[in-house]
Amino acid sequence: MVQYNFKNITVVPNGKDFIDIILSRTQRQTPTVVHKGYAISRLRQFYMRKVKYTQTNYYDKLSTIIDEFPRLDDIHPFYGDLLHVLYNKDHYKLALGQINTARNLISKIAKDYVRLLKYGDSLYRCKCLKVAALGRMCTVIKRVAPSLAYLEQIRQHMARLPSIDPNTRTVLICGYPNVGKSSFINKITRADVDVQPYAFTTKSLFVGHTDYKYLRYQVIDTPGILDRPFEDRNIIEMCSITALAHLRAAVLFFLDISGSCGYTIAQQAALFHSIKSLFMNKPLTIVCNKTDLQPLEGLSEEDMKLVMEMKAEAMKTVIGQGGEPTDDQGVLLTMSTLTEDGVIAVKNAACERLLDQRVEIKMKSKKINDCLNRFHVAIPKPRDQKERPPCIPQAVLEAKAKQAAEKEKRKTEKDLENENGGAGVYSASLKKNYILANDEWKEDVLPEILDGHNVYDFIDPDILQRLEELEQEEGLRQAEEVDDDFEMDGKELTPEEQQALAEIRKKKSLLIQQHRIKKSTAESRPIVPRKFDKDKQFTTRRMGRQLSALGLDPSKAIDRARSRSRGRKRERSPANDGGDAMDMDVDTPNKRLRMRSRSRSRSVSRPPGELVPGEGFRDSAQKVKAQKLAKKSSKKRNKDARRGEADRVIPTLKPKHLFSGKRSSGKTDRR
Amino acid sequence: MPQGDYIDLHRKRYGYRLDHFERKRKKEAREVHKRSQIAQKALGIKGKMFAKKRYAEKAQMKKTLAMHEESSTRRKVDDDVSKGAVPAYLLDRENTTRAKVLSNTIKQKRKEKAGKWEVPLPKVRPVAEDEMFKVLRTGKRKTKQWKRMITKATFVGPAFTRKPPKYERFIRPSGLRFTKAHVTHPELKCTFNLDIIGVKKNPNGQMYTSLGVMTRGTIIEVNVSELGLVTPAGKVVWGKYAQVTNNPENDGCINAVLLV
Repeated sequence: MVQYNFKNITVVPNGKDFIDIILSRTQRQTPTVVHKGYAISRLRQFYMRKVKYTQTNYYDKLSTIIDEFPRLDDIHPFYGDLLHVLYNKDHYKLALGQINTARNLISKIAKDYVRLLKYGDSLYRCKCLKVAALGRMCTVIKRVAPSLAYLEQIRQHMARLPSIDPNTRTVLICGYPNVGKSSFINKITRADVDVQPYAFTTKSLFVGHTDYKYLRYQVIDTPGILDRPFEDRNIIEMCSITALAHLRAAVLFFLDISGSCGYTIAQQAALFHSIKSLFMNKPLTIVCNKTDLQPLEGLSEEDMKLVMEMKAEAMKTVIGQGGEPTDDQGVLLTMSTLTEDGVIAVKNAACERLLDQRVEIKMKSKKINDCLNRFHVAIPKPRDQKERPPCIPQAVLEAKAKQAAEKEKRKTEKDLENENGGAGVYSASLKKNYILANDEWKEDVLPEILDGHNVYDFIDPDILQRLEELEQEEGLRQAEEVDDDFEMDGKELTPEEQQALAEIRKKKSLLIQQHRIKKSTAESRPIVPRKFDKDKQFTTRRMGRQLSALGLDPSKAIDRARSRSRGRKRERSPANDGGDAMDMDVDTPNKRLRMRSRSRSRSVSRPPGELVPGEGFRDSAQKVKAQKLAKKSSKKRNKDARRGEADRVIPTLKPKHLFSGKRSSGKTDRR
Repeated sequence: MPQGDYIDLHRKRYGYRLDHFERKRKKEAREVHKRSQIAQKALGIKGKMFAKKRYAEKAQMKKTLAMHEESSTRRKVDDDVSKGAVPAYLLDRENTTRAKVLSNTIKQKRKEKAGKWEVPLPKVRPVAEDEMFKVLRTGKRKTKQWKRMITKATFVGPAFTRKPPKYERFIRPSGLRFTKAHVTHPELKCTFNLDIIGVKKNPNGQMYTSLGVMTRGTIIEVNVSELGLVTPAGKVVWGKYAQVTNNPENDGCINAVLLV
């Protein structure tokens, strides 16, 4: 499985901490209390559990270590080689092997001691065996502690390796030290590689990403390679060689034609020829850097010849890819990273060639056939010879032209700056575009405090307008106040009208006062409805008085009011009354009379089953039944001394007589 | 600097915080107080472990301090006295060493006759029979009690076959059989894992010797071909005696000291 991200490996603890962790975990997670008097099997089980638990923990932790560290044979050969170069494959494998052995040893120890514990016949003996078992396991780990420390260091370093995907589009940059590789990568990507004047600034691989034709490319910057025999190369150079060997990438070989890196073109050419075997099947581009110091045309004869030789070699790769022998566009390029002249062209050329190569390979592979017969680019068949170019409206064209012209015409601040001496020398005048009444005031310094006031409190561009608005508001308010004071003088009214007005006002004020009193008492006392009116204020006599005071005849109104308040003749059983009249003795007529007279003097209530139209009963029988049901339901509640339906209070939750006491026979499981 | 070293890169470009060094200094100064607080407040097993660690640290510190002080003080230098040196007033005496040597050999011969050897553990706690054997009840009603199971470590030898189970009286469980011992050479002070050849003598009795029980103080014979010892005659020594120094049933292993 290809794994190029080593950041997920768990931390490897060092020997002592490892032992502490496991032992303290055993102490916390297993039962701790045991006594001499327990059954022997229980004692044995107690100690066996501890031994097994410790072994399991060691096993788990060591297994995670072994599994998470990558096996050098299972990962991509680029990473395998890179890790070999950095950490030495043998040491790495040895360390992991030791961890594996330790794991097996611990398992064996645990097994042996668990077997011995079965013969333990006393607490002391079992305890000694457990102590011996744990001690031996920890000794195994102590012996393996240096490997753990080594693996931890490797893990830390691996986690910081740049994440290079070996299978995606890659551009590799190589060449002598100090030729400008890192500056190039800084220019085209966002990788911030250190650029320094001394050689071997870059000591490891750096990755940056750049885009070309909507695809993402990895750009890998390698440390400089010196021309040495293979065996003499140090680790840093070996990193670059590894990258060159294993990654299928476009290679940019950088050449410093000015010689300011400290190496002549001859030396660089020699290096090229010594590693050209690594450029097999890779689109190679020779890039001549630092043309600002020495243009390509100004080179001497021998140097030019060397460069051409290199170009010829590079052409071979083009041919190998299936390109034309005469197509030498992307093979030899010049640029200068300082003036940024030609940088983008180099990048585009490299990316283009890489893309072509990858597309070619994909086309030739078998997998493409699955996709290819699913594609179909449909082009409409031309039905006549008429040309139909894309249609751009005239207005858009004009706008575009105008914009282009504007862009050229307008002078930007940056241009001004460059003209007047550059970034450190010229400082732009920010007040240039101020809009002021008098242009001479532009460069004036604004005071902060004037006459003891903050100037900024008084500055406002709209201040005059605001002042006007304020004054308007003031004027309006004053006018309103004048209006409010206006009252009815009462001079235009006739004396009768005036009198009537006075009376109305008096009455009104009286009512208001009464209402106020009523209101204040209503807050503190409940309002008694009219029918329980104790003061008997609202009598018909009062009404009569008030009406006659007004000059109206009250008698009819009184009659009407009275007729409503009088009760009707009460008939308990209307049928019987007629029937019994014949059989009654002398008293009955009086009774009837009494009934009748009583019906007038007393206030009459309705008989209990009498139908009232608004209540919703079909007939009085139904009403009686409803009343009976209501009484029945409340009977039970009343017996339980409940105040109503919702009363669910339990005065004692656990009455003692229900929850205590022995039984004469039987169990007390349930109460 | 590698691309992944973000912290160092940031430090290189922007430097440290303005108060970084002061904070660091103060934090380190506070460590002392924190440590003393932990030492006083930690309870239970944590406290014990911390105390042990701290004690070791303190002892080490004291030693180094003493060593430093040593070099600054002056001391009287005593010349070493060589072994055979004799003060001036005794020079004329004759030495009587020869006789002593003679009597020593006589003493040794007498000891050998008596059967006493010089061993690292001359006296050993006696092991009672009920500690050594566990009674096994057998039979249909589990009433017979003549079988015994040995609860200590034993050695049986490679050619051992059990008696028929019906007749074997002493059961030596296979879990308690050991074939290897950790033998320490008393002079070289290093330990080897050597095979046991046999049990020579168990101080608790010859019944135990014949059963092959190994307890503390037992003399066993171990295979020392690994060590490459050679007799003055030129023959290779491959078996030597060793004495068991621990309780194998409690430790699960046999530790012995070679008898040179």
